[in-house]
Amino acid sequence: MNRTDPGITSAQVLPQSWGITPTVEDGTVSFILTEPGQYTVVFNGSVNKALHLFANPPETDVPDPDDPDVYYIGPGEWVMDAIALHDNETLYISGGAVLHSIISVANARNVRICGRGIIDGSDYPAWNQPGSYSRVPIDLNHSKDVTVEGIIVANSNCWNVNSYSSRNVTIDNVKIISGRQNGDGFTFQSCTDHLVTNCFARTWDDSLVIKNYSGSTRGITFRNIQIWTDLAQSMEIGYETDKGLTLDPEISGVLFENITVLYNFHKPVISIHNSVDAFVHDITYRNITVENAFMQGDNGYNKELIEMTLQNSSWSTVRDEFGSINNVLIDGLTVLNTLDGRVPRSRFSGQDEEHRITNVTLRNITILGQPVRDLKGLKLDLNDYCDSITVE
Amino acid sequence: MRKERVMKGLLRWICILSALMLLPFTAIAEAGEEIETIVTIVSAPEQTEAERPPCFPDPADDYIPLPETENYALGKPVISGGHTDVYVDRNVNDGSTDTYWESKGWPAEITFELGETYTVSTVAVCLNPSSIWEPRIQEIAVWVSEDGENYMEVAPAEKYQFDAASGNRIRIDFDACPAAYVRLVFTMNSSSRTGGAQAAEICVY
Repeated sequence: MNRTDPGITSAQVLPQSWGITPTVEDGTVSFILTEPGQYTVVFNGSVNKALHLFANPPETDVPDPDDPDVYYIGPGEWVMDAIALHDNETLYISGGAVLHSIISVANARNVRICGRGIIDGSDYPAWNQPGSYSRVPIDLNHSKDVTVEGIIVANSNCWNVNSYSSRNVTIDNVKIISGRQNGDGFTFQSCTDHLVTNCFARTWDDSLVIKNYSGSTRGITFRNIQIWTDLAQSMEIGYETDKGLTLDPEISGVLFENITVLYNFHKPVISIHNSVDAFVHDITYRNITVENAFMQGDNGYNKELIEMTLQNSSWSTVRDEFGSINNVLIDGLTVLNTLDGRVPRSRFSGQDEEHRITNVTLRNITILGQPVRDLKGLKLDLNDYCDSITVE
Repeated sequence: MRKERVMKGLLRWICILSALMLLPFTAIAEAGEEIETIVTIVSAPEQTEAERPPCFPDPADDYIPLPETENYALGKPVISGGHTDVYVDRNVNDGSTDTYWESKGWPAEITFELGETYTVSTVAVCLNPSSIWEPRIQEIAVWVSEDGENYMEVAPAEKYQFDAASGNRIRIDFDACPAAYVRLVFTMNSSSRTGGAQAAEICVY
């Protein structure tokens, strides 16, 4: 790849784990990609005008355009108010296609959305403007056996890839770029058995999000994902852990694995905000790399690296008796760079004797090149309602 | 304008880059090491503006036709027995199916004051034509009045099917009669997502 601009004097290719050192000569940046993946180029040490390159693997299993259950959108620029997909239908968005629309999968099963094209929401006014409404580009609702793969989702007027009360969903090689208000990335409410893998999310709100709206969450895996979080949290469970006030709500069996956070500019990187009454348990974070932990927070608050709380928020639907958090493992957390060159603080806060944060293991943590061996080294603030919090 | 140009320029580049990712070429990775990759070239049609994807034919040809005469209800005073959330009654005759009225419970009455007496023979009820509005049935009766106090039923309660395939609209035809006020009474909506009547536009011809 080559890019030429006389003003460019240096460049960096992220994630750093690619080990790519570009050459910069007379304003031309050059480097070679030898394998498919997601690459971000930062110029002159500035995050402004970063370039995101999505080198896709060759397509396989391209749907047959003549199949009556296939909607095949070829290269070109296309617009349509909305697309509703039903049982056994496939939507293919070709590379070279830009689609201005939204895709709804409601009460359907065995649905596939795939291709190398772009779904763009730039032309829609923000969802909360008069006459506008939320136009979620990929919106799964009470559906099962759904696959979304290969596409780019750009500049939604609200959340980007949403799933609500759905089951058995696979999202593979989907790339999100959004700089718009409430632009959450991959966000799931009351879902079971979801796998998000090989994906990218640059978002102007939470990047990976789990909530409960109506029923419990179980079996969600985020694996091999790159995140750039311009606003809010990178990996957020909450705040709405039981928005619909259902019976015995839980969030359990959630795995974040091989996650690279290129930049986090605002709120905690890892957060469980149980601000309703759910039992949040068996949550695992494994092999998390934070290249730039630049949390600036809000007026001195919300700038932790890791935060777990049981407390009221503007999203709470109970006034008291919040839930609990139990059995959380963070195994492998590496922070390469921070805003001030110091270890950022972390905070765990339970509610009372009955609503506590228990059994949290923090293992293999390295911040700014130094292994963290105890709670003090992590700058972890605990209140009186936390038990069995260990650093190994 | 500048923002639009920047956005369109960005889109063009994203488009080109995504296409480039498919291109077959032979790259030199390290000194002397050749990596063979698969090349696919995509070409786009000549377009002056974004078009509707050909795989989704415009369903407007199958919409239930409405009279081409004046819609006497458009923009006239309207009052309902109540509404849900932000879905107020004035949305039903603002000329846009993007906005809608949703009643607060049952039965749901909504009345138009036409301003003068017209001869009317058709009422149309429209939802947003988008296919993300799933099919539903609503039960509707039509009443008319010349003085705003004494109403006559011109179309008794009947169930009507709303379906995006036919424009998510229905029309109720009745014997022509004079009317200065037109009232619709909704008594049922089969949609599981609402507890009231729904209408994006109500037209009187």
